[in-house]
Order: sequence, then structure tokens, then C-alpha cells
Amino acid sequence: MINIQQITKKYGTVTALDAVSLEVQRQEFFGLLGPNGAGKTTLMNLLVGYFNPDSGTITIDGGSVTQDTLEIRKKIGFVPQSLSLYDELSAQENLEIFGQMFDIPQTLLKKRIEEQLHAVELYERRKDKVKTFSGGMKRRLNIIASLLHDPKVLLCDEPTVGVDPQSRNAIFDFLTSLNKQGMTIIYTTHYMEEAERLCSRIGIIDHGKIIALGTLDKLLEKLSYEETISIIKNPSTAKNRAAFEKFGTLLEEDNHYELKPADGFLLSKFFAAMEKQDIKYSWVELQRPTLEALFLQLTGRRLRD
Amino acid sequence: MKQVYRLFKSSYRIFWNDKVSVALTFIVPLVLMTIFGAVFGGSGSGPQGIRLAVLNQSTSPVAQSIVSSLDTIKTFSVIKSFKTDSGKTVIFDTLSIQQYVRDGKASAALVLPPDTYADTSVGLFVKFYYDPKNEMEMQTMRGLIQQVVFSQFPSVMAQSGLRQTEKYLGIKSGSAFNRNAASLIHKYFKVDTNVILHPNLSNFKIAGKDSAGGHANFLNNIVSIENQQLIGKEMKNPWATRSVGGWGVMFLMFTLTATSSSLFDERRSGVLLRMLTSPVSRTQILWNKYIFNMSLGIIQLLFMFVFGWLMFQIDIFSNFLNLMLVIIAASVACTALGMLIAAFSQTRQQANGLGTLLILSMSSIGGAWFPTSFMPPTIQFFSKLTVVYWTIEGFMEVLWRGVGFMSILPHLSILLGIGAVFNIISVRQFRKGHIFD
Repeated sequence: MINIQQITKKYGTVTALDAVSLEVQRQEFFGLLGPNGAGKTTLMNLLVGYFNPDSGTITIDGGSVTQDTLEIRKKIGFVPQSLSLYDELSAQENLEIFGQMFDIPQTLLKKRIEEQLHAVELYERRKDKVKTFSGGMKRRLNIIASLLHDPKVLLCDEPTVGVDPQSRNAIFDFLTSLNKQGMTIIYTTHYMEEAERLCSRIGIIDHGKIIALGTLDKLLEKLSYEETISIIKNPSTAKNRAAFEKFGTLLEEDNHYELKPADGFLLSKFFAAMEKQDIKYSWVELQRPTLEALFLQLTGRRLRD
Repeated sequence: MKQVYRLFKSSYRIFWNDKVSVALTFIVPLVLMTIFGAVFGGSGSGPQGIRLAVLNQSTSPVAQSIVSSLDTIKTFSVIKSFKTDSGKTVIFDTLSIQQYVRDGKASAALVLPPDTYADTSVGLFVKFYYDPKNEMEMQTMRGLIQQVVFSQFPSVMAQSGLRQTEKYLGIKSGSAFNRNAASLIHKYFKVDTNVILHPNLSNFKIAGKDSAGGHANFLNNIVSIENQQLIGKEMKNPWATRSVGGWGVMFLMFTLTATSSSLFDERRSGVLLRMLTSPVSRTQILWNKYIFNMSLGIIQLLFMFVFGWLMFQIDIFSNFLNLMLVIIAASVACTALGMLIAAFSQTRQQANGLGTLLILSMSSIGGAWFPTSFMPPTIQFFSKLTVVYWTIEGFMEVLWRGVGFMSILPHLSILLGIGAVFNIISVRQFRKGHIFD
């Protein structure tokens, strides 16, 4: 469905994308995970034909993005990272304006606007000015404004930035339902939880290069350990940091420590040591490894650094 | 107090970092002060080169002296002949000189008829034909012409006295009386008898502004100026008719610069990105902006003229088609200017600052606030490079003079030409793409 071959894009002396190649299959929910400035938005802008690459090719549904840009855009729905809406107009007026750009017949457009407003539970507020909406409502409107022409592919560039958890869940459910209905989705994020929850396949991008690619399970197999140990941060555990560090690499998070076990780690020995130090079992938790850990292993940095 | 000082310091830091505010605070007033200073103050300033057609039909030395005086006044550009359609240069006659003013080729005409100062005359008689399309300019002209004509007063008074003496005492006795009187004046006041018996303008000092103005009522019996307005007599509200074009084009430019700069808002809000990721090209977006702005400009100008018609009885319907053509050409040029400003600006604030500077400067030198003839020749040259000048001239031709299509064709061509040039430059600049990137 989407074929990206050896794409390079530079801004002056900065290389935003460096020979990136990627394929996304039809009906796939593909996640592009990476820290800020990794090149996610540049890749999205190239996919939608906003920029042309310095080298390489992109084809979507068999058409070249650089050569058949306007035709390809009819097949794509693009949800920009910023809220791309007219604040002074109503939700309905916004949708009418953006829908008309795709040359949708008036009656069909009206029907689709109604459907989409219902789908994201904004129908009752359709006549209200966008500036009166909450952040979550604006984000939902921002998404459906990209769906009015019934695209085959939806490109979402960090569509949940600044959204409260409840609205985020609503957006996730909505996107999942679109994917189940057959829509191919590419979703960029720097929240690993989002990628883990939504995406059937994930690409990890850093400094303009895809550094890992595969399903969540396949990616996690790349980790040198199978699980991490989370230890609640409190005065007792803080006092015993040295004891934890004997068992692996200890990372300090806001509310807990994360221990990445070293080779030859034995859980029984670890708990015995904890018992000696009066560390309660309830303060310790075994956890499945995360993409965050993989990113750390691959780059030596955290996703949000 | 420390906190106030800290806030005060940070206010200056913020202000200084906002280059547009700094420019608006210092550069815009500086430019306008320079223009106003050049127009109203300083040495050697004042109106220059106002076109005055002159026809001298009199053989009197006084009339010749008036023409000579006018030639030396830099306020006037004195024209004594015109070119016919066949290209032949012809001296004015009483009809052609009036037509010359009616055609807008000169602001006024001064005719010194054969009886300006005839042998039997008691005083001077001149005819002044004028087109008050610009009230300020006309008042200045009339004042100066009165000054020049009244400056002949000493000569005329002396000659009239001698004539009256000879008329009532007979030539022989009168001449003898005059000679005796001249001898006495020479004896007690040391004035050359030749000067008294054969008075000539060069023997007398030209009366100053105050003496001409201060004794105007008395002098009116000696000097008679017959005024005749050639254009605009039927206007119900000449002031409004004259002003509407200038104010109209200034506000038009403000509106169109603002709407052109809306591209920046659309970029900031992300709407431009959304448009550019739909099946719409950059060219189509620019065309949309251009057509929208142009139509808005036409509507705005039309609205202002209709308001002028309702409120001030400006006659917009007797030459409506040509008025519409000027409105369209002005909107084309002003829209292109607005797009040009947006194309060369990096932010909305920059566009607003640059726009304000350009609009106020162009309005002042283009004749929207005061006549261009009041400006130094260099600025007058630049006036003719502005959209404002050609728009105002176009409106004046249509509304004030009621001319036909052929007469406004040069104005339309220049406005459309300016629009085309600005468009080519702005499209190139937009393609370089800081707005779209």
C-alpha cells in the first residue's frame, strides 16, 4: 500500500531523514515511534506531498507521491500535529470548508459530516464555535476533518498531544474502529504506550533513521532481558540503591526505580537479598519489558529525553 | 520599588526584541515627519511646479511685468502654448486656454486681456479660470496670483494719477502740472523726476504679501480679477468628491494588506498545512487569496462610494462604468501590493509593520492627504510611482472631470501594470516559500 524507498530529506546542513525505507501493508495500523526531532513529522509531510524528498521514492496505492501529488492526496487523510481548524467558525462550518476541498458532492458531504460528528460525539455541538471546545473535542474534530473524503490511508501525526486521558481513550477507540473497517493507518507518537496499545507493527525512528522495525513482540525480543523489576521509591529503597545495582542496571524514574537485570540474574537471589534489607515484597513488581527499554538499549537515551 | 524596576526593565527588553514595534515607534513617525517637513516647513519648501496656463493679450508693460513675475515664481510652471493633435505648438487663445484647464492639463489659467491696462484704464483687469479639484492647491495659487497682480499697484497708481491730471486739465496744462509736481517731489523727496513722469514696475518695490492682503478692499477698485470656475460648479459637495478617492485608497490598502497577511494566521493555526495536504496546490491557494482580496477591495470601494453618494451626494452614477473600471484597477493594484508585502514578510507582525510604513508613506506622498504639488520635485517624482497617486488621479478624472474611457486609459494601464509587476515579484517570492515551509 505504502512503499518508501531510500528517502533522504535535508534542511540546510541538518539531515532530517537519512535513506529511510519502509513498507506499510493495506489495513495495517503502523506506528512510528521516536523522540521529538527524530524525523517523524518530516516523514509524514513527505508522505502527503507537502515537501519533496531530496532523493528516494514514495508510492501510495501504486501512485508516486511526488508526481501525482494532488491525485494521491485524495486517497490520504492527514491529521496534522497542530490543530488545523478555524477557531472562529463552528464545527460544521469547518468540516464544510475542508470537505469542499476534496470536491465531494454537496449532499454526500452533508451526510458524511453528520456521520462523522456522530462518530466522535460532537453532533450536538456542531453549531458551536470551535474556540469554545475543549482540547479533546478539538482533537476529535481535527481527526474527522481529515476523513470526510473517505480516504484509504490515514496519516496521524501525534494526534493526541495535550489531550486528557479520557479523550485520548476515545480517540484510540475511534482510530481502532477505523482500522477495523479497513483503513490503513500510520500513527506517529513519542508515547510508547500509544504505540504499544494501537499498532500492529512499529518502526522506531531516531536521528532520521529507522533503527528498529517489527511487531511489538518481535521488537521486544531484541531486548537482552525478558522483564524489568520495578521498585517503589521510598526512604528504605532509596537507602538500598547499592544493593539493587548489584543485580543489574538501575534507572531512577519519578516514583520508582527500574532494574534491568544483568546476565545470570536469578529472581530467587534477588528476593533473598531484598528480604535481608527489609524491603517489602509489595514494593517490588515484575514487569514486561517495554519499547522504552528497547529504545534505551538501542540509543542509550530515553524516548522523552 | 525593586519589583517595579525589574518589571520596567523587562518591559523594555520585550519591547526592544519586538523589531516591528520598534520600527512602528521610531521609523514610521520619522518617515512621516520627513515628508510633512518637506511639504510644510524648512527653507525652499512649499508648492512647486503647479501648472498655470498664461495668455497675455495686452501690449501694456504692466501685463508683461505680471507674466515676467509669474515666470520667476517656482510655485508655478507657467505654460504659454500647447501642442495640437498634429503635434504643432500653438500659443493659447481665450478658448483653447480654458479647454486646457478643463482637460486637466493645467490647474488654472490667467488671461491678461487686451484691456488689462488700456491707455484709458484707471486700474488693472485680469481673468482667472480655474479648476478647484484641489482646494489647498487652488487657494495657494489664487493667493500668489493676487500678490503678483497687486504688486503692480504702485506703478498703476502713479500712471493713473498722471492720466487723470491730463484728462481733467488738458494734455498741455496737465503735462505742465505733472512736470512741476515731479520737480517738487524731486526737490523735497529726492525722487528721480523720470521715475515719476514715466512710472515703471522696476522702479517700485513689489508689494509684499501683507500689503497686498491688508489693502485688498481698497485695491479691488484698482485691480480687478474676474474669477471663473471651469470644473465642478455643479458639484453638490466638492469637498467630499475630492476627498473620497484619497481616503478610499488608503483604507483599501490597509484592508488588503491585512487580508493578504491572513496567510500567516492560517500558517500558524495549521489550516494552511491542512489545505496544502488536500488536493489543492500552492498556486491555487495564492489565486484564491488574490481573487478574494480583489473582490473584497471592489466591494469596499463601492461601499464607500455608495455611502458618499447617500451622505454627501457625490455623483457616482453619471460616469458609473468608468468609476467601476478605476475601482477594479485600484483593487487589482492594491491587492498586488498587499500580496507583495505578505510575500516579503516573515511574520504577520512584520507584514503589519511594513504595511503601515508603506501605506502611510505612499498615502502622504501620493496625494491622499495633501496635493503632490506641495512637495519637493524629488518627492513629486516618487509620488508618480505610487498606487495611491494613480488611483486618486483616476477617481478625480472620473468623478470631478467626468471624462470618458480614453482619458482614464493611462491611469488604468499604469494601475494594472503596477499590479502585474507586483504579482510577478510576489509569486516568485512565495515560491521561494517561507510561508509554505
